[in-house]
Amino acid sequence: MGDDRARRRLTFEIFRFNPEDPESVPHTDTFELDETEFMTLFIALNRIRETQDPGLQFDFACRSAICGSCGMMVNGRPALACRTLTSDLPGKIVLYPLPAFKLVGDLSVDTGTWFRAMSGRTEAWIHEHKPFDPDAVEDRMSDDLAAAIYEGDRCIECGCCVASCGVANLDETFLAGAGLNRVARFMMDPRDSRSGAEWFDIVAGDEGVFGCLGMMACADVCPKELPLLEVYAYLRRKALGARFVKARES
Amino acid sequence: MTERVRTSADRQLAYEIISGGSGLLLALFMWGHVVLVGSILTGARGFDWLATLLEDYYVAQPAVLAVFFLFCVHAVYAARKVPAQLRERRRMLELARGLERSGREKVATRTDHSPFRPHVESMLWIWQVRTGFVILVLGSFHLVLIGADVFTPLFGDVTGIEAASSAERVAAGLWIPYAILLLCVEFHAGVGLYRLAVKWGAGLWLSRAALHRIEQLIFWVVLGLGALTLVVLAGWLDPPLAFLLEGGAT
Repeated sequence: MGDDRARRRLTFEIFRFNPEDPESVPHTDTFELDETEFMTLFIALNRIRETQDPGLQFDFACRSAICGSCGMMVNGRPALACRTLTSDLPGKIVLYPLPAFKLVGDLSVDTGTWFRAMSGRTEAWIHEHKPFDPDAVEDRMSDDLAAAIYEGDRCIECGCCVASCGVANLDETFLAGAGLNRVARFMMDPRDSRSGAEWFDIVAGDEGVFGCLGMMACADVCPKELPLLEVYAYLRRKALGARFVKARES
Repeated sequence: MTERVRTSADRQLAYEIISGGSGLLLALFMWGHVVLVGSILTGARGFDWLATLLEDYYVAQPAVLAVFFLFCVHAVYAARKVPAQLRERRRMLELARGLERSGREKVATRTDHSPFRPHVESMLWIWQVRTGFVILVLGSFHLVLIGADVFTPLFGDVTGIEAASSAERVAAGLWIPYAILLLCVEFHAGVGLYRLAVKWGAGLWLSRAALHRIEQLIFWVVLGLGALTLVVLAGWLDPPLAFLLEGGAT
């Protein structure tokens, strides 16, 4: 990156609102900042907080796109602040909190409540009914399957897919990208003993994959570039298959 | 024998198959339709020969009824996904616009590694809803008109679909709604097929970018053929393929 490129004066328009304060009104504040080399939004926001407004609220922890806490709307699109270079953005940067989640204040949202509810509804844990035998050798799993499960597990639950989803913005129970990805991860896992029929009701129910409109924004905004569209196609085909099996059994 | 209760998941799957399946059939029909009406490019004789053939062998009459049925089914089952409240639609529109714009700003310093990948599919969905409503109105009109054309000859000594009366209608001003209908139908069908392919996993064989390019190619080819047909029907251009049928009695 050349020196001339690092000399922009950036304008930040940032959403401000504290739901805890009855006198707070939703509005935007404007800040200006000199761009420096390899500046990320995470660096810029910290600089604004240190030098201009100590009251600015935003979340971060790892600053390396793994904790998933700094998701925010950057010029209309969900992105991780720590992974977004200001050099990839125009000189005016508009920041809003992620929609579809409960607002904590300014750019900070509570993604935990949504993810906790989603985990509860999909029972996103290994279901195993066999009695535990501590002396038994563990079941083997092929490398390919383990890799496929790991691919789904790469989700950092930042909520960018949920915020970009037209359906999830209107319906808080819709599983959205992160939820459907989680369901697929456990469906693939041979250690989970749930049957096709049990999965069918979770995958194909009102909140499941058939609520998806196919707008594909989730896949385009996912900071981890998870193959979400392939995951949905897998779930759709599995649901269709499970339905036929169920029809034959009854 | 006990009656199995239809669960919500059963219904969601059925709705998805019905809306997707009816859309697929209608899109395929539309391509065939444009090719059949394109017979006017060989002149009035070719058009009339084909129209008489289809009516005399009772292909046209059931086809009109079948398309009308699919048209209604698709309208009902595909529209279930359009948010009912204006407030919800505004929210979706705002989100889709933001997502589309954020990938398009001109930023000199933007790198290839930018997380801001272009995204148009959310906005394409909104345009599918808009074109869908236009098709519902203009398509109904067209279906009733053509229905009258093919069914009245069954009850009286009237000619069915023929080049002379069709050309007269189009030239008299019907080219305006037909041009709008053509554009809307080809857009709606093209994007619909692309979305259907991605939804059910064509991404396993072809990249999404490739699928989108194929969709755009088909869209322009069919739109071009349809537009040429309309121009010939309106009498602004002599049939360019008339030489194919030259030599016979005229």
